[in-house]
Amino acid sequence: MPYLGSEDAVRELRRALSNPNVQSDQLRYRNTVLKAIRAMSQGVDVSDLFSEMVKACATVDIVQKKLVYVFLCSYATLNPELSLLVINTLRKDCQDPNPMVRSLALRNMTNLRLPSLVEYVEQPLAAGLRDRAACVRRVAVLGWAKLHNLQPDAEIDAAVVNELYGLLRDPDPVVMVNCLRALEEILKKEGGVAINKPITHHLLNRLKESDVWGQCEVLRILQRYHPQSEDELFDILSLLDASLVSPHPPVMAATLGLFLGLCSGLPAVSLAALERVRGPLLAACGSTSRETRFTALCHIQLLLRSLPGLMGAHYKRFFCGYAEPAYIKQRKMQVLVELVNDENVAMLLDELKGYCTDVNPETAQAAISAIGRIGRSYSDRCLEILTGLLGLKQEHITSAVVQTMCDLVWVCPQCSDTVCSALEGCEEMLQDSQGRQALLWLLAAYGERVSSAPYTLEGFIDRVRSEASLGVKMELLTTTMRLFLCRPSETQDMLGRLLHYCIEEEMDMCVRDQALLYYRLLHCGIEETHKVLHGQRSDPSLGVLIGRPAEPINQWAYSFNTLEPLRQAGFHQVGWGASVHSHFQISPEMFNRVQVRALAGPLKDIHRVVPKPLLCYLGCVLRFVQSALEHVFIQDVSVHCCIHLSLNPD
Amino acid sequence: MIGGLFIYNHKGEVLISRVYRNDIGRGGGASAGPMGGRRNAVDAFRVNVIHARQQIRSPVTNIARTSFFHVKRSNIWLAAVTKQNVNATMVFEFLYKMCDVMSAYFGKISEENVKNNFVLIYELLDEILDFGYPQNSETGALKTFITQQGIKSQTKEEQTQITSQVTGQIGWRREGIKYRRNELFLDVLESVNLLMSPQGQVLSAHVSGRVVMKSYLSGMPECKFGMNDKIVIDKQGKGGISEEGAKSGKQSIAIDDCTFHQCVRLSKFDSERSISFIPPDGDYELMRYRTTKDIILPFRVIPLVREVGRTKLEVKVVIKSNFKSSLLAQKIEVRIPTPLNTSGVQVICMKGKAKYKASENAIVWKVKRMAGMKESQISAEIELLPTNDKKKWARPPISMNFEVPFAPSGLKVRYLKVFEPKLNYSDQDVIKWVRYIGRSGIYETRC
Repeated sequence: MPYLGSEDAVRELRRALSNPNVQSDQLRYRNTVLKAIRAMSQGVDVSDLFSEMVKACATVDIVQKKLVYVFLCSYATLNPELSLLVINTLRKDCQDPNPMVRSLALRNMTNLRLPSLVEYVEQPLAAGLRDRAACVRRVAVLGWAKLHNLQPDAEIDAAVVNELYGLLRDPDPVVMVNCLRALEEILKKEGGVAINKPITHHLLNRLKESDVWGQCEVLRILQRYHPQSEDELFDILSLLDASLVSPHPPVMAATLGLFLGLCSGLPAVSLAALERVRGPLLAACGSTSRETRFTALCHIQLLLRSLPGLMGAHYKRFFCGYAEPAYIKQRKMQVLVELVNDENVAMLLDELKGYCTDVNPETAQAAISAIGRIGRSYSDRCLEILTGLLGLKQEHITSAVVQTMCDLVWVCPQCSDTVCSALEGCEEMLQDSQGRQALLWLLAAYGERVSSAPYTLEGFIDRVRSEASLGVKMELLTTTMRLFLCRPSETQDMLGRLLHYCIEEEMDMCVRDQALLYYRLLHCGIEETHKVLHGQRSDPSLGVLIGRPAEPINQWAYSFNTLEPLRQAGFHQVGWGASVHSHFQISPEMFNRVQVRALAGPLKDIHRVVPKPLLCYLGCVLRFVQSALEHVFIQDVSVHCCIHLSLNPD
Repeated sequence: MIGGLFIYNHKGEVLISRVYRNDIGRGGGASAGPMGGRRNAVDAFRVNVIHARQQIRSPVTNIARTSFFHVKRSNIWLAAVTKQNVNATMVFEFLYKMCDVMSAYFGKISEENVKNNFVLIYELLDEILDFGYPQNSETGALKTFITQQGIKSQTKEEQTQITSQVTGQIGWRREGIKYRRNELFLDVLESVNLLMSPQGQVLSAHVSGRVVMKSYLSGMPECKFGMNDKIVIDKQGKGGISEEGAKSGKQSIAIDDCTFHQCVRLSKFDSERSISFIPPDGDYELMRYRTTKDIILPFRVIPLVREVGRTKLEVKVVIKSNFKSSLLAQKIEVRIPTPLNTSGVQVICMKGKAKYKASENAIVWKVKRMAGMKESQISAEIELLPTNDKKKWARPPISMNFEVPFAPSGLKVRYLKVFEPKLNYSDQDVIKWVRYIGRSGIYETRC
């Protein structure tokens, strides 16, 4: 435990540091400083040693100097007055003949992060810009950015800015790139560095000299440039062609980003660029480091939104390895779903089937729902696999299969026969609430065709007292009501029991309210109930949501090569196109039964029913639901609007 | 740009923390000390990622508008933190580079090594990143800025070296190197990756290779490296060398993509496809490449799994070596996974030693040496405990490890020439050593 006895340790260190015998022996002095730094990195509060450390700073030993600077930079904000003493030593070091000492002093002077010291730092920094050693210039340039960061509201010194612009022509490539970085930060309010024709051409010509990091930076900043003529544009593009197929993934991605930005008016050129990066992108997908693989996959998903056919022939590259982490497997499956065509569908489904028995339940579920997605176009083959999976009799697989079937039937009503026959006997295997909810929904929709439906429901109703999930209870109510409408003789008794329990004993407001609503609805007569519960099917209009046209590249070009494609978007990735703002990726599954109900219901249960990740998109979803209510979700939503009214009678 | 870099051990204790920008962790809560602010960010990562119960969802985690990029090396976590919408590929690339630099200094990245070298790491972090921007990440060039090995303060001579280092054009080699014997070692290291279906169909195969060199050459020599790259051979083929290629079948290989050490003149590579460079001194990696076509798969694995009733499993695995019979493969290891409810295993193998390792749920079959064009087999009877767990056994793939003395991609070094115009030693005087090693990467056959 580093925290115990730390006071003694600090006292001892202080005694050692101020001992003249130690101070005279360079090696012992350095070792004592080293001990202090070690204590610091272990979490001991050694800030009391500050004044001793300031003294230790005045030494010729570079190692000791570096150690002391590490200490000072961490604790300077606590001791602004004492830090003033260090400045003198640092300024003296800035005159040292050794360029390394000069750059070290300058860097640490700016790293102290004390606004009160700014006036002392400016002069050495200005001198540093004109130093003959490149490593000092590198530090000085960034130092100005740090100063600006300390006092963002202070006035910008035009002379410094001019000098920085001048240093863009420095022979050292790192100085050049650092100038870009510094100007970008200092001139943030004015929109960053001014990128005009001479600067652009200069940067492009020297691009090859800088390292990977520098190239990425330059390419990113050049995105703001607008070529004056088409000829100039094509000159730039042909100059950048080599870096487009660069073997370094960051450079390749940055170049592609620049291409997409420059060619926003020329879709044909962007498409050609995308074709050209296919090779390097696929190579990045097979890279040995998993993080690179993951980012490459995320970006491929982005590209596929505009060019679904881009990777079609290379689908085998997206087969999962056994030992790959779950996050890569799931992304790969999402890509595979996009690549399905008539030739490869058999092979792909065979592969996905293998993943369904993965050790990680989340991966298995992702595989099953991927099969469900493919089922929208190849329903027969997929249903065969899904029903086969039910035979494995495993809880998490059965649950995922039932949920997937539920989504599939909603989109392709023609599959309902197979689904109905598959449902028999799987209720024992369903343990989690999501799966049971899906089963109940299916029973509600196709109750008249599943012969055992009333018995299944009876089981649920008998256990309703011990039921923990709110969603299941709500679903159970609706299902029983709807089954009652088509098979009244078998269900009348249990409906009565359920309504009685929900109204008299249930503690949850939502359930009780819904039960009351149904009770009153039944009072209005069977005709009226029928009208509300068996309204027009919403399926035909879903075609809009499913048949997703290829998006124009501009939709996502701005987010290419940033963090955005890496974020986990909802559960599944389905681009939405025009109807919702494009970077919210929302799937139709999100609007199905449960979620729509939750959204239309009183707000408090949204937190419970809608899974967490959804909450951030809630605003957007609500807006969408409002506009789409009348067309899409007539059947389910009509019921829940009523609930809403019943809660707020006025 | 990167706001901060943290290094944790597997328990989530912070070993190194370096903050480059004020915005990291300063946002939330009343920060008590200088560490107080950054502790927030540090703790957030520990609680949400290292100590999280479920599996890692993504290598990038967002907590309170701060993004944490992490990479794991053995049981050490490296995390780069930023508040800006940065270029993710670059941050990961940087973390890899950071790992490379650290292992170049102190070998394996382990908790002990990190603890022992923390001063060096702080020093490195100071040089590599400034204000969160990557500055100087070449190990060779860094050596002059880092004091940790050379404890003495510098002499006059070294100081002038720094100046030339810092202002000069060649950042990876210093002037005035001298050796009595001029030697060059060249290793072609490849790893073959394979995924094969039970029927013997290749689902995916690729070779990722590296050309690693060790050079002890005096002065500023200029080297030229030639290999049987298809594009070059085809170009020369027009000149009349193609008969040689036709004689022994496959002579040239198609390289899918390659990266070079910064010393290689890329412009020359682009225009003439020739690899010329001034080598760094000592160890370095000249190039990395990847091929996917015409790979020589050194071994075929033919699995046969038969389930006899509910409590018995019969497994037979044949391995065939597929290379010249004069060559010897080494360190062959075949790992045959067994179900979780295995109670006993009987193994018979023709060659080598086989053992059932209950803790790893696998039969491990080791063969020390095996010549080319040979065949060997193992058969095992696995007894299972009857369980009421209806979970079907997922049948993980059979994996294999080996080492062969040739390059599975077919790459051959055609020449490596050294020119040093200023000092008088010629290409013939340099002693050159070339070695090929092919290892298995992920070499799996499904069963």
